[in-house]
Amino acid sequence: MTSNPYQDDRGNKDRTITNPSGSTMTAATGTDHEMNTGHAFLIGDSMTGGYGKTGPDILHDCTIAVNRGEIAVIVGPNGAGKSTAMKATFGMLHLREGSVRLGGEDITDLTPQARVAKGMGFVPQTSNIFTSMTVEENLEMGAFIRTDDFRDTMAQVYDLFPILKEKRNQAAGELSGGQRQQVAVGRALMTQPKVLLLDEPTAGVSPIVMDELFDRIIEVARTGISILMVEQNARQALEIADKGYVLVQGANAHTGTGKELLADPEVRQSFLGG
Amino acid sequence: MDFLNAIVALSNFVLIPAIAYGSQLALGALGVTLIYGILRFSNFAHGDTMAFGTMVVVLFTWWFQSMGITFGPLPTALLALPFGIIACALLIVGTDRVVYRFYREQKAKPMILVIASMGVMFIMNGLVRFIIGPNDQRFADGERFIISARDFKEMTGLREGLAIKTTQGITVVVAVIAVALLFWFLNRTRTGKSMRAYSDNEDLALLSGINPERVVLYTWLIVAALATVAGTLYGLDKTFKPFTYFQLLLPIFASAIVGGLGSPLGAIAGGFVIAFSEVTITYAWKKVLGYLLPDSLAPDGLVQLLSTDYKFAVSFAILVIVLLFKPTGLFKGKAV
Repeated sequence: MTSNPYQDDRGNKDRTITNPSGSTMTAATGTDHEMNTGHAFLIGDSMTGGYGKTGPDILHDCTIAVNRGEIAVIVGPNGAGKSTAMKATFGMLHLREGSVRLGGEDITDLTPQARVAKGMGFVPQTSNIFTSMTVEENLEMGAFIRTDDFRDTMAQVYDLFPILKEKRNQAAGELSGGQRQQVAVGRALMTQPKVLLLDEPTAGVSPIVMDELFDRIIEVARTGISILMVEQNARQALEIADKGYVLVQGANAHTGTGKELLADPEVRQSFLGG
Repeated sequence: MDFLNAIVALSNFVLIPAIAYGSQLALGALGVTLIYGILRFSNFAHGDTMAFGTMVVVLFTWWFQSMGITFGPLPTALLALPFGIIACALLIVGTDRVVYRFYREQKAKPMILVIASMGVMFIMNGLVRFIIGPNDQRFADGERFIISARDFKEMTGLREGLAIKTTQGITVVVAVIAVALLFWFLNRTRTGKSMRAYSDNEDLALLSGINPERVVLYTWLIVAALATVAGTLYGLDKTFKPFTYFQLLLPIFASAIVGGLGSPLGAIAGGFVIAFSEVTITYAWKKVLGYLLPDSLAPDGLVQLLSTDYKFAVSFAILVIVLLFKPTGLFKGKAV
C-alpha cells in the first residue's frame, strides 16, 4: 500500500473505476532536468574508464557535451577528473563503457591523431608549444596534416592574436606565459578544427592576461568553433560558459548553463567559495 | 718579420690542422646529435657507421682507379662518395628495421637503446674488418698540396712555410657545403621542420599529425650521409683504419656533448672546441714562442703540454669541465 493519497482507492473495489492489477507502463522522467545532449556536437557519453587497460576507473558514467559554436566548461575540485574527462573525449583514455561522438559519428575507437583529422583540436595544459621553433613555425607545424594552402588560416590566427604576428620570427619558448598560450591555441586552430579542447588555458598567467585569454576564447567560439575547456578559475569560466559541468570524483555532480551553476547555492558553496 | 713567421708557423701547425680536424669532428658530432635529438639515444655505433661508409668509398675508389677514372686534381674518393652514402644508408636503415624499431615499439628506455647500439657497433666493427681487413688503407690521390711549404716560402720570402693539403681544403669546403645543406633542410623544408618539431616535443608532434616513422627514416638517411662524408674526409686527411674510426667515437661524443646534445649548432661549435684544444695542447710551442719572445726568454724545452699520445685525455678533460659547469652544453642541449 502506498502512502500516496491519490493512489488510495479507499476500499473501492469497483472494477469499472480501478484496475486492480495496476499499471506497469508508468511514465517517469529520467533526471528531472534537461540534459541537452540531443544536438550536442561533441559528446562523451556515459564514459567510464581510466588510464591503461588495467588501471583503476577514474571516470564513472561521466557525460560531457558541447553544442556547435558554444563554450562548455568543466570545473570541479582538484583530482575530480576534469582533465581526464576531456582527454577521454580526445581518445587519450581507455574507455570501458560509454562512447564519444562527434557530429553524430561514433569516434570512440579513433586515435587522437585520427580525431585531429576529423576536426578536433587539442591544447594540452603543459608543453603545448614547440619551444625551440619560431611562432610561425609552430603554426606551420599545427597545419602539418593540411595539404592545401593554409596562409588564410594563418592570417586569421594573426588577426585573432595580433601579438603573435609581431613576434612571428621569435622562438616560441622566449615568449611570456600568456603569449605561449596564444601560440598553443593558434597552433591548434591551424587545422581549422570544428571543436577545440583547452586544458586549463589560463594556468599560471596573471589575472589581466587571463581576462584577455577568455576574451579571445569567446572570439574563437563566435567563429562557430565549439569549445570545451577545463578551468581552475571556475567563476570566470562559468561566466563565459554556455554550459557548465561540475565533476566530483569522476562523475557528473551538477550540470547546467553557466548562469544556473553560478546561481546554484550548492555549487556556490562547494566550488565557488560562497 | 718574426711576428709574421710566428703567425705562419701557428697557422701551419695549429690553425689549419685544427680547422680540418674540427670540421671532421663537427660532421661526426652532427650525426650523433641528430640521432640523440630525434631517436633519443646516444648511438655508440656512429664511429663504425663512419667506418662502414668510408670502407665502401675506399672500395669504389679503388675500383674507379683500376678503371682509370680519376677526378683530375681532386681525390677520386669524392666521385665514390655518393655510392658510399647509399650503401651506408641501406645498412643503417636496415639496422633500424631489424634492431631499433623493435625497441621503439616497446617504448624502451634510452639506456636499452644505447646498449643495443653497442651491439650494433660490434657487428659493424666486425663487418668492416671482415670485408677490408684491420690494416691501414690509403686511398687519397690527385694533387697533394694546394700550397706546399716550399712554394709558400718562395712566394713570401718568410722563413716559415705554410702548407695547405688538398685534403684539408676539401674537408673544409665539403663540411661547409654539408652543414649549409643540413641547416637549409632543417630550417626551410617541411620535412626538416617536422624533424625539429618531433625532436622538440614528441607528443605535440604526434598531435599535429607528424608521422614518427617517417621522421626516423629521414634522420637515418641524413646520418648516413653525414657519417660517410665525415669518415671519408678523415680518411683522406689521414688514412683509413677501422680501429681509428672506433676511437674517433670518443672525441665525437665529446664534441656533441660539449656543444649540447640535440643542438646541431652546438655540435659544430663542440667539434671545433675539441679539435682546437686537442691540437693546441699537444702542439710543441717552442717555435712560435721562439719567434714571439725576446731571445732571453726563448724556451729551451719543446713547450708541449701533453704528448700527442694523450690527445684523447684532452677531449675528456673538456667534457668533464663542461659537464660540471654547464651540464646542458654550450648551446643548451638536452641534459644527458
